[in-house]
Amino acid sequence: MSEIIVGIDLGTTNSEVAIVENGQVHVITDNGRKILPSVVGIDDQGDILVGETARNQYLVYPERTVKSIKRLMGQDIKVDLAGHDYAPQEISAIILKRLKAIAEQYVKQPINKAVITVPAYFSDAQRQATREAGEIAGLEVVRMINEPTAAALAYGGNQAQQKRMLVYDLGGGTFDVSVVNIEAGVVEVLSSHGDNHLGGDDFDQQIIEYILDHLSETKGVDARQHSKALARITRAAENAKFVLSDQPFAIIEEEYLLEHEGAAVHLSLELSRLDYENMIEDYINATIDAVHIALKGAKLTASDIDEIVLVGGSTRTPCIRERLFDEFGFEPHSEVDPDLCVAMGAAAQAAMISGQKVDAVLVDITPYTYGTSALGYLDGEYYPFKFVPIIHKNSALPIRKTEAFATHHDGQKTVEITVYQGEDADALNNIKIGAFLVEGLQDVEAGNIITITLALDLNGILQVSAQEKASGLEKSITIQNALSRFEYEALDTARHRVNKLFGQADTGSVVYTEPAKTEQPDVVEARKLVAKAQDLFDKTSNEDKEDMIDLIEDIHTCITEGYSDRLKETTTKLADIIYYLES
Amino acid sequence: MKTPYAMLDVAEQATDTEIKQAYLHKVKQFPPDHHHEQFQQIQQAYESIKDLSCRTKYALFTLPEADFNSLLDHAFSSERATSISSEHFNKLLRASIDDKRFIISVPELIKAS
Repeated sequence: MSEIIVGIDLGTTNSEVAIVENGQVHVITDNGRKILPSVVGIDDQGDILVGETARNQYLVYPERTVKSIKRLMGQDIKVDLAGHDYAPQEISAIILKRLKAIAEQYVKQPINKAVITVPAYFSDAQRQATREAGEIAGLEVVRMINEPTAAALAYGGNQAQQKRMLVYDLGGGTFDVSVVNIEAGVVEVLSSHGDNHLGGDDFDQQIIEYILDHLSETKGVDARQHSKALARITRAAENAKFVLSDQPFAIIEEEYLLEHEGAAVHLSLELSRLDYENMIEDYINATIDAVHIALKGAKLTASDIDEIVLVGGSTRTPCIRERLFDEFGFEPHSEVDPDLCVAMGAAAQAAMISGQKVDAVLVDITPYTYGTSALGYLDGEYYPFKFVPIIHKNSALPIRKTEAFATHHDGQKTVEITVYQGEDADALNNIKIGAFLVEGLQDVEAGNIITITLALDLNGILQVSAQEKASGLEKSITIQNALSRFEYEALDTARHRVNKLFGQADTGSVVYTEPAKTEQPDVVEARKLVAKAQDLFDKTSNEDKEDMIDLIEDIHTCITEGYSDRLKETTTKLADIIYYLES
Repeated sequence: MKTPYAMLDVAEQATDTEIKQAYLHKVKQFPPDHHHEQFQQIQQAYESIKDLSCRTKYALFTLPEADFNSLLDHAFSSERATSISSEHFNKLLRASIDDKRFIISVPELIKAS
């Protein structure tokens, strides 16, 4: 039996894990849920929370909870989680570890390998960070595939008919569009374009700003200063967005949001879909522009497209469907759940890699142009940083390209090679992704030939090498964003840190178990009730939710301070509300 | 070194559609996941002949007789026999002329003169 490789969609808002069983793709459920919110938290016991519970805790303890970590991948920053600093890779690793455990519980054996999806427009640094997150979580990332490509695989993998598909993928934090040709069992990506920092989170932010402005105008309060109030506004904004997908108006109500000058501040306002659509119009325009760039990259026009596939939760926004209808003249498809099709495609690719017989072969491309800089002429002027593209945007992967350069002056001993990603003729306007020095060149006249080879693998990770042609002197590096790059030891330390959070011994793969509790029975009881209450948040009126949040806070105080009498009292109150809500 | 046509197992007169089908067939045989090198060769071959403008470029760069100067020489030197073989001249014509109606094979041309 071949080793199991799972397919993972590590999303900004939600994540999923899937496998292929008996030729069928299966999204693995955890307590009946296929979707794991990409939220990580630490409760006041120091126990790690991942998913739904962490998402619910966000309202009570925003400072102990991290959301949308994917937006920070590949950046050299730390996020604070309950007073400790974590790299984005570590937070992502915690989510991956949970997904790994969910899958292990399902297949009843350890899992060490995964195909993880990334936005097509993820840069080299962001891809590296994703792979590192996998390593920290104890998963060998055998392949990273692009999200829209995975979706196309899920949709078109078994189609016999030739079809040209446009995949419009708008998630929580990233936007991708790809043009895909499906023909004779080959899923061939023709072009990709996108934006690494555009998604549903930005839509939420617009509504949040709207609410904050409303509060400061009508009540004269700046809710930004209150982290709990801000957490509730964030949740309310997100809910309003969901409501506006189906309704023309949304009522945003949060009672007892905060206290201002001794009085309680209640939030109540209405948002119309029309106003909301105006708020996000610029974002939608940007996505439509990207659609046209992708079409141009594939040398096609709108009329050449047979099918549009929508991926990502944010595509539920009605005006997106309308805009696409205006552009293409037909309705987009969304038969496969837009939240699940990426994980399903990843599982299909995982099955292909592990040697299972699958219908479709995948040919993917790079959405970026990579090259180096050289002396040259720019706009007719002599310029030292002219961009020389070596691998062009929309080239099929894997690819290896070599370009020859010559030294500039006699006796030149060294040459510095800088690698850029971008399209601009001026290298300095592109993103510098790495540099290295070739030393010890032969002492010869100017014109000593140096060849530079760029190789991009199937994961979209770049390797660069330079060679002095005459001597064969060679130097090569794998481009790793020096800023975000974890050294091997740091990676190992991170793995220990994350394992410790899960309360695990460091012995490779361990099936996930609840951390052992050594608490008083009344505390255990109280915690169960709190978890139960948090699970009910989504179905509860705002008023009841307020009451529950207050009680939960009180319970936490009692536990930490050891007030056992008051704990009993508050637990009973919370139990009453839960009883009332459930009956 | 195999020519792109040989690489994809297509005739030099193959149409865009035939070339595309041959390419897809080869990719299915040598998917990029398991055959990195072969796939790159197939991809390169396909990209160098996938449409007319690519085929023209390929023909211009690979047929030595298609050198512009030698063509000029040929045009000016009425005495000398053709320095470009009729076979290559034919290939070049086929590669660069979109509309099949304009293509007259070289033997016919010689006959006509």
